[in-house]
Amino acid sequence: MKDFDGQNPSAPSDPISAWRLRVIFFFFCAGFVYVAVGLSYRQLVQSVSLTEKSDNQGQRVVILPPSRGKIFDRNGYVLVDNRVRWSVKADLLALQPEFRKEYLALLKKEKDRFPDRRPDYDQLQQTARLNVLNAWLTKIWFVIDSTNQKAAKGTAKVKSTPDLHPEERMVHPDTLRKHLNERRALLFPLILDLAFPNSGHAVTSEEGNRSVARFIEQFPVQGPITLEADMVRSYPNGKLASHVLGYVRDTDILKGQLDDELAEKFANLQKLGYTGKKGADGIEATYNEVLSGHSGWEHWTKTSSGYNKERLEAKPPKQGADVALSLDTKIQKSAEEALAKIVDSQGKALPAAAVMLDVNTGEILALASQPSFDPNEMADRVTQAYFDQVNSEGGWLNRSTQGLYAPGSTFKLITATAGMRANKIDWDDILDCGPSYMVGGRAFPEHDPVGYGQVDLEKMLAVSCNVWNYQVGLRTGPENLAKEARRFGLDAPLLQKPAEHNNHSTTELPNPATRMVVPDRAYKQRIAGEPWTDGDTANTSIGQGYLLTTPLHMACLIASIARGETRTTPSIIHDPGRDGRHAGAEPIGLNTQQLNALREGMLRCVEEGTAKSVRIPGLPYAAKTGTSEYFKKGEKAHLAWIIGYAPADNPVVAFCVLVEGQLDTSTWGGKTAGPVARDMILAWRSAADEKDK
Amino acid sequence: MDNNRQGAKASYVALVFFTGLWMILPSAVRRFNREAFAEFQAPALHLVGKGRDLARYWELQSRSPEELVAAARDLARINAALELKIHSLDDARKENTRLREMLRYPQSTEFVTVVARVSVRETSSWWQRIIIRKGRSDGVRPGCPVVFGDRVIGRVSVVHLTTSEVDLVTSPGFRCTAFLEGDDQNHVVHVSGRAGLALSAPRAMVSIIPLGYNPPAGQIAKVMTTGLGGVFPSGLTLGTLETGVQTTSEKHMLTGALTPAKELSFIQEVSVLIPKYPTAGEILLTPADTGKAEEFR
Repeated sequence: MKDFDGQNPSAPSDPISAWRLRVIFFFFCAGFVYVAVGLSYRQLVQSVSLTEKSDNQGQRVVILPPSRGKIFDRNGYVLVDNRVRWSVKADLLALQPEFRKEYLALLKKEKDRFPDRRPDYDQLQQTARLNVLNAWLTKIWFVIDSTNQKAAKGTAKVKSTPDLHPEERMVHPDTLRKHLNERRALLFPLILDLAFPNSGHAVTSEEGNRSVARFIEQFPVQGPITLEADMVRSYPNGKLASHVLGYVRDTDILKGQLDDELAEKFANLQKLGYTGKKGADGIEATYNEVLSGHSGWEHWTKTSSGYNKERLEAKPPKQGADVALSLDTKIQKSAEEALAKIVDSQGKALPAAAVMLDVNTGEILALASQPSFDPNEMADRVTQAYFDQVNSEGGWLNRSTQGLYAPGSTFKLITATAGMRANKIDWDDILDCGPSYMVGGRAFPEHDPVGYGQVDLEKMLAVSCNVWNYQVGLRTGPENLAKEARRFGLDAPLLQKPAEHNNHSTTELPNPATRMVVPDRAYKQRIAGEPWTDGDTANTSIGQGYLLTTPLHMACLIASIARGETRTTPSIIHDPGRDGRHAGAEPIGLNTQQLNALREGMLRCVEEGTAKSVRIPGLPYAAKTGTSEYFKKGEKAHLAWIIGYAPADNPVVAFCVLVEGQLDTSTWGGKTAGPVARDMILAWRSAADEKDK
Repeated sequence: MDNNRQGAKASYVALVFFTGLWMILPSAVRRFNREAFAEFQAPALHLVGKGRDLARYWELQSRSPEELVAAARDLARINAALELKIHSLDDARKENTRLREMLRYPQSTEFVTVVARVSVRETSSWWQRIIIRKGRSDGVRPGCPVVFGDRVIGRVSVVHLTTSEVDLVTSPGFRCTAFLEGDDQNHVVHVSGRAGLALSAPRAMVSIIPLGYNPPAGQIAKVMTTGLGGVFPSGLTLGTLETGVQTTSEKHMLTGALTPAKELSFIQEVSVLIPKYPTAGEILLTPADTGKAEEFR
């Protein structure tokens, strides 16, 4: 076909054009081949790895924290529980259109205001999100705060929520930024723990329930705002036994996050976790492995913006196991209430500790330490103000197991036992005890300025005669005193876990004291670089000097004496099958008369001696009081002690109470610590009577 | 042939045009259209209801005089009993008011009751809804509780001039708080409607039941409104908790199915409880009345 010029119109007009066409054709073909080969390579060779990569980018695993197990007392009374936490949350994916709309409005406003300036797009996005979320928060609080009740005449309008500063009801920019960076796929919490009074969102729990009900019944069902219920740690008795129970703190490392098979399956997927809880103190920490349970998980696809899209599969979390403690709530409560009554001149509760043990099994029935803290304050997130308050009061220290004190006159039981076992004194030997005793050229005083005259073992224990002990201590010698104290385990670590329960923590309660001191010549040489003197022996014989031990050790000592043995293995875990055997225990090594004299002396201490102000008519018990000295801010203050067991003729419980006196407060073993012991014994009696019924 | 093609083409163009137009119309116009359609539809709905009433009337006409006399006698007895009840309730109400005033206790939410006849039931597994013959002109407002005696039927979801749509207890749009009979500690539980599966009965669920809850021995536990949310008066029966409550996967909370207090498929007459003062949620749904929001703060 030719045109009117006789030329072929499809043919190139000149040779150069044809050459160009060929070059273009070549590059076109080469490009096509390149694309085809590339596509084939990706489809045929790389398809498996690319699919996997795509899955990894488009999917994630969300780890769900488990609920922790409960903690009970020996009678099945709940000490630590989990309660429902109602929280209002926002679905950020569903709010995307609102964010976008607000962002565009802000952008337009910004461009109108500063036409020459480049807007800060990130800041605008953040502001848009905050504006939208705060607008929703305002609506939520409007529904929760309002009441459609007509107030009765003369009454203020009913309001169920505390008055908060408006800023406290706004989303904090840092909180939102952190959530978007770390947990974008999860619902954003607008109000955490709506119904719980401690959270600051409700005045009382009833009003908290009212807030929840208002939200459920009045807020639109459909929409981006939802009310979620989950479980959080709850300590129904507040401060009760807080040092034993401990508290929990946030953790992102959750036990049993994924088992091995799933860990391999989801190896390359992004893993996102809700914040879980782990024990931070007390039983919550030492039995964390038991209480924790196992995490669950959800396998999600995600959007390009990083939000969760579709749930593919899931496994629910598994709750942790329960733990039964040996505590008896009634006795524990009475101990804490009695301790709270001991106050200084300003009416502030004195630092103190109280322990009660089952004489035969060693199970701890009460273990109190004052001041204490409310674990509920730590259940979600502790405020700095509360932490500082407890810290300034010294409330974190468990004085029963961690506090180290000179045992004072309660140590005279060891001096007497050591003297009798070393044949330096016998139960019926009478010593002349004046107002003081000269040791190394220095007069060591009696606490009664007149002295006690003719004193035997029983009288010594009843009146707590110092001079008797100086004489016996010097006769017995420091090595025998130390040996006897060690035989009773005064410097041995306590609360060790059995090997089979020895997971992560080797003790039943965290960090029990390990630096107890039973001094001897070598000790003083090491510490002070000086030789031991008779004065040191005299001091040690009345429980002063370098001696340091804990209230729990002293409770174990008296429980051992009550059984006629040397060691008691205390335990905070309740085991009904406990056989009453105690590690390292041996017979006390005194003859019947000596042991009876020791026990009779302690009975007389309550009936007519230093503890007579706290005797219980109809319930004879044995005790030994002590008032030792310690230095507080460079000045001498007193420690008040009482140890003992009840009933006197058939010991069932042993106890120890310690009170740290203050500079301006007079504290004495019988007068100050005695009432706590009496209340604990009465609580035990009442609990035992109830059980018998 | 060409004419047919052109006609089809014109139809598609018209469809696209009107769809587009609907999308760009101001929301007020669209709302007006919806309302207008509802009002246009209302007489038909009334007619359906009236037809059913007529059928019932003729059915009763066919009964023997003896049956009617017996029914009238029963009714008279019931009336007498109700008269007595009204009298005692009146006394109780007066005593309640006196005590509240004495204790300076705020008055509970007050309601005005409007009795309404059911026109249409949509009780398929998806739409658990009824339409009643009372609307805006009778004072009905969205969110009002709908009851039969002391039993909860549902809540008003949409209100037209003379009719209203009611979400039944089993509707996915229904939720409220409740107390369980036999729970001494009065834990607040959550009741919500669930869309049933095809051919299965719709149901409501009771969730967040505390683990330690035990229904009263040998009884079916009643589920009652709390009165805390400001929408439902307290003590109304939502239904009964079906036996065999399930623990959730974490064993910390229980969930159970709720059998509604009234057979919802056969309901003919209901009462709408209109709160004297609008709830905050109601104000929130009507953004035009922002002044009211301040008033009730």
